[in-house]
Amino acid sequence: MATAPVSIAEWLGYATPPLWLQIVLAAVVSGVVVTVMLTTSALAGPWAKRKITAMFTDRIAINRNGPAGIFTIAADAVRLMSKELIIPDGADRPAFDIAPAVLPLSALLGFAVIPLGSGLQLADPEIGLVYVFAVSSIASVGMVVGGYASGSKYSLLGSMRSVAESIAYEIPLVITAASVVLLAGTLRLSDIVAAQQGTLVSLGPIAIPAWYGFLNPFALALFLVASLAEVGRNPFDIGEAPTELVGGYITEYSSIYFVLFFLGEFLHIFLSAAVLTTLFLGGPAGPGPAWLGIVWFGVKIWAVFLFTQWCRAAVPRVRIDQMLEIGWKGLLVLSFANLVLTAIIVGVIA
Amino acid sequence: MSETEEPVENAEPESAATDPVGTVDYDALEALLGDAVVRRESHLNAEAFVVRADRVQDALSALKTEAGFDHLSNVSAQEYQDRFESIYHLKKYDDPTQEVSVVVPTPRDDPVSESAEPVFRTADWHEREAYDLVGIDYDDHPDLRRILLPETWQGHPLGRDYNQDKPQIVEFEENVNPLADDHRESDTMLLNIGPHHPATHGVLHLETVLDGETVLDVEPDIGYLHRCEEQMAQSGTYRHQIMPYPDRWDYGSAGILNEWAYARVAEDLNDIEVPEYAQVVRTMSAELCRIAAHLLALGTFCLDIYGDFTAIFMYAMRDREVVQNILEELTGQRMMFNYLRLGGVVWDLPEPREEFFEMVREFLTELPGRVDEYHDLITENELFQLRTVGTGELDAETAKEYGVTGPVARASGIDYDLRRDDPYGYYEHLDWDVITDDGGDNYSRLLVRMREVEQSARIIQQCLDLLEEWPEDEREIQANVPRTLNPEPDAEVYRAVEGAKGELGIYIRSDGTDKPARFKIRSPCFSNLQALPEMSRGEYVPDLVATLGSLDIILGEVDR
Repeated sequence: MATAPVSIAEWLGYATPPLWLQIVLAAVVSGVVVTVMLTTSALAGPWAKRKITAMFTDRIAINRNGPAGIFTIAADAVRLMSKELIIPDGADRPAFDIAPAVLPLSALLGFAVIPLGSGLQLADPEIGLVYVFAVSSIASVGMVVGGYASGSKYSLLGSMRSVAESIAYEIPLVITAASVVLLAGTLRLSDIVAAQQGTLVSLGPIAIPAWYGFLNPFALALFLVASLAEVGRNPFDIGEAPTELVGGYITEYSSIYFVLFFLGEFLHIFLSAAVLTTLFLGGPAGPGPAWLGIVWFGVKIWAVFLFTQWCRAAVPRVRIDQMLEIGWKGLLVLSFANLVLTAIIVGVIA
Repeated sequence: MSETEEPVENAEPESAATDPVGTVDYDALEALLGDAVVRRESHLNAEAFVVRADRVQDALSALKTEAGFDHLSNVSAQEYQDRFESIYHLKKYDDPTQEVSVVVPTPRDDPVSESAEPVFRTADWHEREAYDLVGIDYDDHPDLRRILLPETWQGHPLGRDYNQDKPQIVEFEENVNPLADDHRESDTMLLNIGPHHPATHGVLHLETVLDGETVLDVEPDIGYLHRCEEQMAQSGTYRHQIMPYPDRWDYGSAGILNEWAYARVAEDLNDIEVPEYAQVVRTMSAELCRIAAHLLALGTFCLDIYGDFTAIFMYAMRDREVVQNILEELTGQRMMFNYLRLGGVVWDLPEPREEFFEMVREFLTELPGRVDEYHDLITENELFQLRTVGTGELDAETAKEYGVTGPVARASGIDYDLRRDDPYGYYEHLDWDVITDDGGDNYSRLLVRMREVEQSARIIQQCLDLLEEWPEDEREIQANVPRTLNPEPDAEVYRAVEGAKGELGIYIRSDGTDKPARFKIRSPCFSNLQALPEMSRGEYVPDLVATLGSLDIILGEVDR
């Protein structure tokens, strides 16, 4: 699949676009894509989250500003931007300031290689999958630096928990993704998507696509659980754990720093939803013409996002030791079993 | 020693007919206590032995181990013109109608008496409160510090010499930060949970010592919500001015249950007979309050486990709202009901009665479905069980040591419910069960509350049937009570009811005026909270938070 800058260059009439044009187009397109992702997730995300959670919990939520409270998005933006930035006395200054930027940065870097559909993909390196996991785990650095630099015990405990969580669940996550790599035979994300385009079985008029989620639902379940832990949502909400640690590693952050953390968290949920969609749900595939791809992709990642909100509303939080136990003794073993089984099956069939 | 116990029984106005108090052989007890006893007094609820200040532990341990008085319900302290007095109100968990009081007088110039803490663990906080507010020193007490007022407070506010006009300078010391350089060698960390923290259910400060995330020790620091409730009650008249205060103790919807505590003690003191119809109305409204309070407890406990305002919290709030509407219909208020009066209730059910009955019946019809929904969401959820089963364990023996009562005690297998064991109101004529569970953990406490909601619904159902059938000309809502009540001088009484959180008792001493000379509140939350360190040592911080939630404390009642 051609990447977006190349296709635009072709559309502009360049058969082999010069390097400068490739760079300029890449910058423009990435700007557009990032803006779209930012607006949907950072603005509509929290609004939708409030409405969705309200529906789960038998409430109405925001409904005063505009239809269904939609203008609250603007009010919130102004409010969050104009709040006083409070920096604790004990804060470790440069670290305290850098940490908030790390989270959104790592999530945005991750989006660079995701095939968003409709020909939109900023880069398509051969090691795409490895790259996504590599950059998204930079977020842990942001959490631990932020938690430590805050000079607060709650922040420290929260960041320690987050790191323990990331380490425990990163491994099952990667191992499970590796089983998809075995099936697809490539690390390149566009090829993984392409490998899922066939039909698995046809039940009369309904053709079930050969998405790896259908081919190996077990791996999908493992990946989903590990993703929940990676993004710190219930039942693995222990990094922030409001009723225990006040706010975990973001306890001491306010104003724009808080917004950055908040944004980073939402972007991470969407990033992990995007990776899950790419690996298991056929990426941007869906009925209709190919240019609808971005829409289908959006629908799928929002479905995963909804799932995280559902968990948040209905599932209790586990304890730190229980979470580690589930991660190391449960998911890790299961994900290795999945990998070995997949390897055997792939080896036998192929 | 030769006097019989009969006169004592007759001194009990209301309960003489129903209470089997006669089973206590006070002469034998006096013989048991031997020369520790100086003399005997008659309180309205029980005989009291005046004990020498240096023999308190002997007397209490004899009563505890040999006579079976295993429940130190309350310690009331007060100052007379010539002496201080600590009164230990003892009961039996098996039969709370068997009571005895131990009175320990100490001279005003040297108010030192032996601490009861080595005998009853619960005396720790009670005596600290007596020291703090009244100014009695307890010898042999492990940790005699102020408990409700700040460390730097000057004087003892309930003492006779206290100067209310003297300005107080309150300094708060900064807590030492164990992460600071000079503490590097230490492996533990002091974490202040509260007074402002999402999980403290009010203004509570837990000084927690952590090793990693394991709780090594936790010390509840209370008093942030102390509002001088006892002194306010002491400056109000029995007839009208005290009744609004109880609503403000346990404000978690349990108002009428608290009011009943005052109504019961004041009616006993003044020999007031409550009409049967009013008793039924009281019983119904009190159980409505219990449902509302338990639903709030359920919601906030789950909030601690889930960590967000999630489905179960909102569901509990939604259903509590229905009860609140019923109570609002009945009392005109949503929180500070002020519905009971001495001798009855303030007014009859709202007209048209049919609509009110319809409203309550609809709630009762829907309740079982709602409770099933709760069970689906929480008690049958494996993750929830993972979090709550086996955490915050409290065995029956420890619970008794700490004077734990209410759903917390019943979840530890202690079959103790004053509604049945020390009957008042209309409970003894109704068909309902006391719920107990042997688990003693956070899960059991939740389960007990959920089942108690069902039992309360049963009680309300029967009350409704009775009220509907009640002949119109016999609906007497209040007894004929004089405008001013002047009980006998020096009458002393301790009476308790089963509040939402446990045994809510009040001790009153009258001095012949229309205001109490001493008004002491026995708060169930106060005693229950004291057991928190015992329950959470060695567990993780999330368990500490869950355990605190499962104790269901209301700081308004802890601090009074």
